[in-house]
Amino acid sequence: MKFDFFLKKIGQYVVVLCCGVFASNYATAQTDDAKVIADTTATIDSSFLFFFNNKTKSNLASGKMFNLQNRMINADTNFINLIPKISIQQMVKGNLSGVYVRESSGEPGVDQNLFIQGINGPLMSKKDLFEQQAVVYLNGIPLMRDHPFAYEIQKNDYLRIGTNTNTLANFNINNIESIEVIKDPARLAALGPLAANGAIWVTSKNATSGKTSGSVNIYSGYAPAPRVSPTNSAYEFAFRKPYYDRYANVEDLINMPAYLKDSTNTDYYGPANWYKSYYKPTFTYGADAALTGGSSRANFRLFLSSVRDANAADKTGLERHNASFYINIAPMEWLNFSSMISYNRMDRDRNKNITDRLVEQRYLPDLANPLTPNNNLYNKYLREFDKAIDLNVNHSLQSYFNLSAKFKTLVFNSNLMLDYSDINRDVFWPKTLLEKNNFVSHYLGINQRVNFTNYLTNIFEIGHKQSLKITARQNYTNDMYRYKYAIGYNGPNDFVKVNLFHNNTSGQNYISYYFPNSLRTALMSLSGEAEYELSDLLRINAVVRRDGSSTKDVNNRWFTGYSAGFDYNAGKQFALDNMDLNLYGGYAKLGKINVDDRFSTNSIYSSYVGWQNEPTLGTFNGIPALARPYNYGWVNANMPWAYFEKINIGARWGLFNSKVQFGIDVYNRNDKNGTILVPTPAEWGYEGQYKSGLTVNNSGVDLSVYAKIIDNEMQKIQWSINGNLSYNNNKLKALPNGLDEIIISGTKLKVGERVDAYWVYKNEGKYNSDAEVPTNSSTGRKLTYNGVPFQSGDAKWADLNGDFDVNDEDRILIGNFMPKNYGGFGTDITYHRFSINAQFYFALKQSFLNQAAASRLDFVNGDFSKSLNSVKEITSWQKGEDLSAYPMYNPWSSVVPYQLSQDLFVQDVNYVKLRSLSLTYRVPKTVKNARLMQIYLTGNNLFTFSKFKGSDPELLNYQGVYDGKAVPLQKTVTLGVKIDF
Amino acid sequence: MRYQITKSFRGKCLLALVAASTMLLVSSCNKKLDIESSSIVSEKNSWKSLEDARSGVMGMYALLRTAVANNNAYWHWGEFRSGLFTPLNSPDLSAVVNNELTANYSVIESASNWTKFYAAINACNVVIENIGKCRTDMRYTDDYYRLDVSQAKAIRAFAYFLMARVWGDVPMITTSGEGQNFPEVAQSKKEIVLNFAKTELLSVAEDLPYLYSGTDLENKFPATYYGFGAGTWLNAPITRIGAYAILSHIAAWEGNYDEVVVYSGVVINNIAKGGGSGGITAVTTGDMVSSTGLFLSGNGNYRQIVGFPFGKMTGETTTDGHIENYTLANTPDFPMSKRLPNLYIPRDSILKLFNEADDERFGTDFNVQPVVFRKSYFENFNGEIPVFKKIRVIDAGSTSTNGDFVVYNSSIIFTRLEEIRLLRAEAFAALNNLSAAAQLLNLVRAQRKLGGVFYSSREQLLQLIFLERDRELMGEGWHWFDLVRRTKLLNDNPQIASFISSGGIYWPISRAVLLKNKKLVQNNYWK
Repeated sequence: MKFDFFLKKIGQYVVVLCCGVFASNYATAQTDDAKVIADTTATIDSSFLFFFNNKTKSNLASGKMFNLQNRMINADTNFINLIPKISIQQMVKGNLSGVYVRESSGEPGVDQNLFIQGINGPLMSKKDLFEQQAVVYLNGIPLMRDHPFAYEIQKNDYLRIGTNTNTLANFNINNIESIEVIKDPARLAALGPLAANGAIWVTSKNATSGKTSGSVNIYSGYAPAPRVSPTNSAYEFAFRKPYYDRYANVEDLINMPAYLKDSTNTDYYGPANWYKSYYKPTFTYGADAALTGGSSRANFRLFLSSVRDANAADKTGLERHNASFYINIAPMEWLNFSSMISYNRMDRDRNKNITDRLVEQRYLPDLANPLTPNNNLYNKYLREFDKAIDLNVNHSLQSYFNLSAKFKTLVFNSNLMLDYSDINRDVFWPKTLLEKNNFVSHYLGINQRVNFTNYLTNIFEIGHKQSLKITARQNYTNDMYRYKYAIGYNGPNDFVKVNLFHNNTSGQNYISYYFPNSLRTALMSLSGEAEYELSDLLRINAVVRRDGSSTKDVNNRWFTGYSAGFDYNAGKQFALDNMDLNLYGGYAKLGKINVDDRFSTNSIYSSYVGWQNEPTLGTFNGIPALARPYNYGWVNANMPWAYFEKINIGARWGLFNSKVQFGIDVYNRNDKNGTILVPTPAEWGYEGQYKSGLTVNNSGVDLSVYAKIIDNEMQKIQWSINGNLSYNNNKLKALPNGLDEIIISGTKLKVGERVDAYWVYKNEGKYNSDAEVPTNSSTGRKLTYNGVPFQSGDAKWADLNGDFDVNDEDRILIGNFMPKNYGGFGTDITYHRFSINAQFYFALKQSFLNQAAASRLDFVNGDFSKSLNSVKEITSWQKGEDLSAYPMYNPWSSVVPYQLSQDLFVQDVNYVKLRSLSLTYRVPKTVKNARLMQIYLTGNNLFTFSKFKGSDPELLNYQGVYDGKAVPLQKTVTLGVKIDF
Repeated sequence: MRYQITKSFRGKCLLALVAASTMLLVSSCNKKLDIESSSIVSEKNSWKSLEDARSGVMGMYALLRTAVANNNAYWHWGEFRSGLFTPLNSPDLSAVVNNELTANYSVIESASNWTKFYAAINACNVVIENIGKCRTDMRYTDDYYRLDVSQAKAIRAFAYFLMARVWGDVPMITTSGEGQNFPEVAQSKKEIVLNFAKTELLSVAEDLPYLYSGTDLENKFPATYYGFGAGTWLNAPITRIGAYAILSHIAAWEGNYDEVVVYSGVVINNIAKGGGSGGITAVTTGDMVSSTGLFLSGNGNYRQIVGFPFGKMTGETTTDGHIENYTLANTPDFPMSKRLPNLYIPRDSILKLFNEADDERFGTDFNVQPVVFRKSYFENFNGEIPVFKKIRVIDAGSTSTNGDFVVYNSSIIFTRLEEIRLLRAEAFAALNNLSAAAQLLNLVRAQRKLGGVFYSSREQLLQLIFLERDRELMGEGWHWFDLVRRTKLLNDNPQIASFISSGGIYWPISRAVLLKNKKLVQNNYWK
C-alpha cells in the first residue's frame, strides 16, 4: 500500500516536472520578444482587487522589513521563515495585529482557530465556531474548511468525523511572498460575503522572468520529550482520602473504585513509568526546493517540498508533500495568461486518546478501570495498536487560471479558481481495544469550490493628476461538501479489516451503518467599484455590490452591500520632513452568508427523528421517517440576510525615514440580523425557532510598532524591535423579538453582556454545618438547590433573587473566554553575519473554565457516570494542578458541589510565550553560484510565563474549557540551511 | 513567431470576451442559486405522494419512540422511582429512586422535560393537517388517508396519556401551531387530558385494523399497507387491539374499572386476529427471557401488543433506550466487560417477591441436586449483587456475540397479553368480581408454572394481583404506576398515599420547559 502511494506521488511529481519543462521550452522560444510586460501583469495583481493596497508608500519601501501592522513580507531576514510552522494559523499567530489564534492542541496538523478582531456572535457549538473563522485566500482563492454539517450525525461535537486535519496546514513559508490581514471595511466589501469575518491574504511566490534561479531549504528538528511528574494510584488515593475520611459512609468506602481500593495491586500502585512510552523524543524535518525562470513573455516557477512535523507525545505527527507550479504566458502584448496548480498531500498520525476513539466509535464501554500507569502494561496496550489501522490522508489541489487583457487603460480579467480536497480516513481498531469488539470505519470527504470571477476596469484621467478608476465585477462561487461515512462493529475477527457491508444476522460480518451526505451552496456577486485618486495625496473609493446566496429563500435571495473609504497622505500634504503620515478610514455594510442550506426554504422536514444519544435514527420499523426539524428548531420564513456594519479609522506614521513606524486602527463593528435559536414554548415540540435579530458589537484598537533602533551600515549592526497589541471587546446589543435574554445550550445570552461569558453560580464558600444553611422565616424551609436542601459540606451559592432556592435565576454571567488583549512582540539583532531573533506571543485578560480541576474534584460522579468526561486518559497519571486550594465539599452530596458551572472554576489566565528564538549565520560566498546561504538554529515554544497551574494556558478549547487532555505544544530545536542560487 | 495584430482585432477579441462573460453573468444568476438541499425536504416538495405520507406516518411513531427512549426515561418514570431496584454507585439514579426529582442530574432533567413528547404530538398534528394533500397521488386512496389520520389521532392520544400519568396536568395542543407563531398554552386538567385521549382513541379504534396488511373482513383497509406485509409491520403501528389496550390503561389510571373490563374485553376477545397463525399469544417463561424471544424487536414477534421496536435488521440498533443499560453486568453465565450493574434488586427483595419455589422466573429448582436457583430473571444470585437479566437482547441475541458488544435490540413493550390479563384481573377484583379476577390471575400464574391462588378477601386478591404484576412485569416500566393504582385501591402505603393526595406522584416539570412558557405552573408538590 505504501509503495502504491509512493508511486502515485512520484507520478504526480513527474507530471508537474513535465509541465515545467514544456513551459521553459515555450519560454525559451519566446525570448526574442523583448517587451517587458509579464513582470508587471503576469502575477495576479492584487492591486486590481483592492483599492487600498498596502503596497503603498513607505511601509513597504524597505521591502524586506517587517511591515507595519497588517502585513508580513517574506524576506531573507524575516524570522518567520526560520520557524518550521506548517499552518497558516501558526504563521500569523502573534505576528499580525488584530489576529487571534488559539492552538487548542499541540498535535501536529490538528485544526486551529483563527479569529480577526474578536467574535461576531456567540460560540455555542462547533458550527458557530466555523461561522466565526476568518477566511484565508491563497493567491485570491478563498480556501475551504471542513464543514460542520457532519456533526449532525454525531452524538456530540467534540471531534468531527474524518481526518480532522487542518485544511490550512498546507502552506510552506518558503513559498510565500506575503501574508496580510484584511480588516479594512472597504477592502472587505470588495472581497464580498466570504470575507465577512476578515481575511488573511496569502500571496505565494510566483514565476518571474530573468535568470533561472532557485532555492533550497533543508532543516531538521529535534523534539524532546517533556518532563512530567508521573503519579500512580497512591497519589490519587492520597488526594481523595481526606474526602473519604470526612464525608464518606461505609457504603461509599465499599464502592471506592477498584483501582484505588486495593493498594496491593501493583498495576495501579506500582511504578508509574508509562511516560517512557508515551513521550518519546522525535524528529521533524523539512526540505523544499524552488526553481524559477523564463523570459518576460513566459516564465514559470516550480516548488516542491516535503515536511514532517512531530510531537513527542503519543507519536503524533504530520507528513506533508507539496508540489506547486506556476506559469505566466503573454502570448500577445495585451494578453496575459497566468496559472497556478498546487497539490498537497497530508498524512496525519493521530493521538491514541481513549476519548477521541470512543467519540468515533459512538460507544461508551465500562470505564471503571482506567489504563494503568505501569509501563509494561501500557506497552501491552500500545502493542494492540499494531493491529490497528488509522490512516488520515488529505489531498488537496488549488489552482487558478487567469486571463487578463489590457487595452490602453481598459483591463478585462477573467479568473477561474478551484479548491478541491478529498479527505480520507480509514480506521480499524481490534477487539482488544473495545470490550472485545472491533471497529472499522471509512470516511471519504470531498470539499470542492469553483470560483469564477470576471472584471472590467478602466482608469479615466480627469484633469491634472486626478484619476478615476471604475470597475465592474462579477463573481460566482459554487461550493460542494460531501462525505460518505461508513462504520462497522463487531466483525468476525481482527484479520478482516475491511467492512464488506453485508448485513446479516449470522454474525459473519460487521454490523454496519452508512451515512452519506452532501451540501451544495452557491454565491453570486455583482459589484461596481470606483476609486478616485488625487495625485498621491488623497484616494477615495466606494463599492456597491449585490450578493445572491442559494442558502437564502427566494424572497430574500439578494442583498445590497456597499462601502466607502478614504486614504489621506497628510505627510505629503504638509511636506513633513522625515515623516510619513497617512490617515485613512472606511465604512462598509456587507452581507453574511449562512453556512448551511436549511434556511433556503421556510418550513422544512428532515429525517432526524432520534435523540441526542442516537442521532442517526432516521427510520421506524426500518422505513424512512420524515418530520419537522424538532431538535434543530423551526425555521421561520422570510429571514433577511445577516450583515455587518463596520467603521474603521486608522493612521500610519513613519518617522526618521520609516525607521520608526507606528500604526493604529480603531474599529467599531455591529453584526446585525444574526440568526439564532430563540426558545419557543416546548409544547410545540421544537427546541426553539430560528429568528433573525441578533446584534453583536465588537470594538477595539489594534496597535503596532516597528523601530529600527540601530542601523549602522559601517559597523554592520542592526537592531530592530516589533510589536503589536490588540484590544477587543464584544457586547450583545440586541436579540430577536426585542428579547432581553435567552437561555440556550446551557448558557445565557443577555443584552448588554458579552457573548463569550460563562453562566455560572456565584460561589461564596461552604456550609460547615447544617445550621449555617439559611432558613426562610416565612415558610420555615431551608435554602434549597433546585428544590434539594443544602446540607453541611455543600457549596454556598449565592441566592441572588432571595427566593430561598438556588436555581438558574441565580446564575451570573462572568468572564470572557476570548482574550481582551493579545498580540506579539519581538526583536532582531544583526551583527556582521550573525542575527538573533526572538518572538513573543501573549494573550491577556481572558478567562477559562477549569474542567480538569472540576472533574477531578467531582470524582464521585465521574467514577461511575458513563460519559466522555469520566474517561481517564493515560496522561491523567501525571501531576496537574494542585487542588488543595479548593474548598473541601462533600462530593457525595446530591447538589453536586463541584459542578463545573460555578465561578469557582471560572479563572483568569494571562500568558506570555517565547515562541521562537533563532540564531542565523550567513555563510560567506564560498559556494559557487549561491546568492545567499544561511544556516540557522531555531528554538520553538521555549518558555511560557503564566500563573496558570495546569499544563499550558493555551490548551483551551474554543469555549475556553481546559480539560487537561490535549496533547501539549511541542518544544523543538531546529537546525536548517537555506541556499538561494 | 510573431503576431501581427491590428488594433481592431484586439478590440474585437476584447469585445467578444466581455460579451461572453456578460451573457454568462446575466443569463443565469438566479437559476444558479436554486440548489435543492439534500438533507432537508422543503414544504414545496412535501405531501405529494404515497411515499411522503408513509414518511410522515413513520415520523410520528419514531418521535414517540424517541420521547420514551430518550435517556431511558421510560424506566425512570415507571420502574425506578420508589422501585424495587437499588442503585449502585449512581448518585443520579439514587435521586430517582428516592424521589428527589429536582436534583441536578442530567437524567432527571431529561426525564422531566416533555419537549420530545410534544414533538411527537406536533408530528401527529402536522400529519393530520397535511396528509390529505397526498391524495393527489392516485395510489394514496381514501382507505390510506382514513387509516393514517386514525393512527395520528391514536398516537397523539397515547402520547397524552403517557404524559398525563407522568406530569398530571399538561397543555393540550391539537394543532401544528404553524402560522400562529407557537403561542404559550396553559395546562389542562389531567381529567380533561385523559378524557380527550379516551375519546379520541374510541373514535378511531374501529378505523384501525387488527393487523396491518392482515386479513381484512371489514374491507376498509389497504391490502398491503405501504407495500409491506403483516410480517414486517407486526404490531409496530397501533392496531385496534393496541388502541383498546391503551384505552384499558387510561380507564384504569382514572379508576374507571368497569370501563377497563369493557376495553380489555375487546383486547382479550380479539387476540386471535392479532397476527401470526395463533394470533397474539401468551409467552412461556423461556421465551420471555430468551434473547431471541418476547423482547426482541421484529422477527415475527406479534406478542408486543403495543411497543416500540429497535430492530437490528431495520437498522435501529441502539445503546440508549433500553433498561439493559442499567441492569446488565458480568455474570458467570454471561461474561460482560461491565463488572457491576447500575441498578440491581437485592437478594432479600428477590426472595420476598418470589416466594413460591415453583416459579419459573425465579425459584428454587429442587429437581437438580444440589438445589439451585432458577436463572430466568436473575443471574449471579449467589453473588453480592444479583444481575437482573430478564431483558437481555444484545445485538439481536446474536449467538456469535457474548455480552461484550452491548448494543440492544429489545423493544420497549408497553403492553402484552399477560399484562392485559393482569390488568383485567385487577379490574374484576376492584369491582368485586373475585372469581373472574382469580381466574385471569391463575391463567398468568399457570404460564409460569404456578398453581392457583388462595384468597380470602378482595384485598388479599388485589395484593396477589399486584404481586404478580411486580413479578411478571419487572423491568417493563410498570412498577411505579402499579404502586399508585394499588395504593388507590388498597391504601396500604402511607408514603404513596401522601404523594397521591399532594400531587407528588407526578414528576416536576423541567425548568427549561417552564422558562419557555410563562403560562405553565409547576406541579404543586415540586413548587
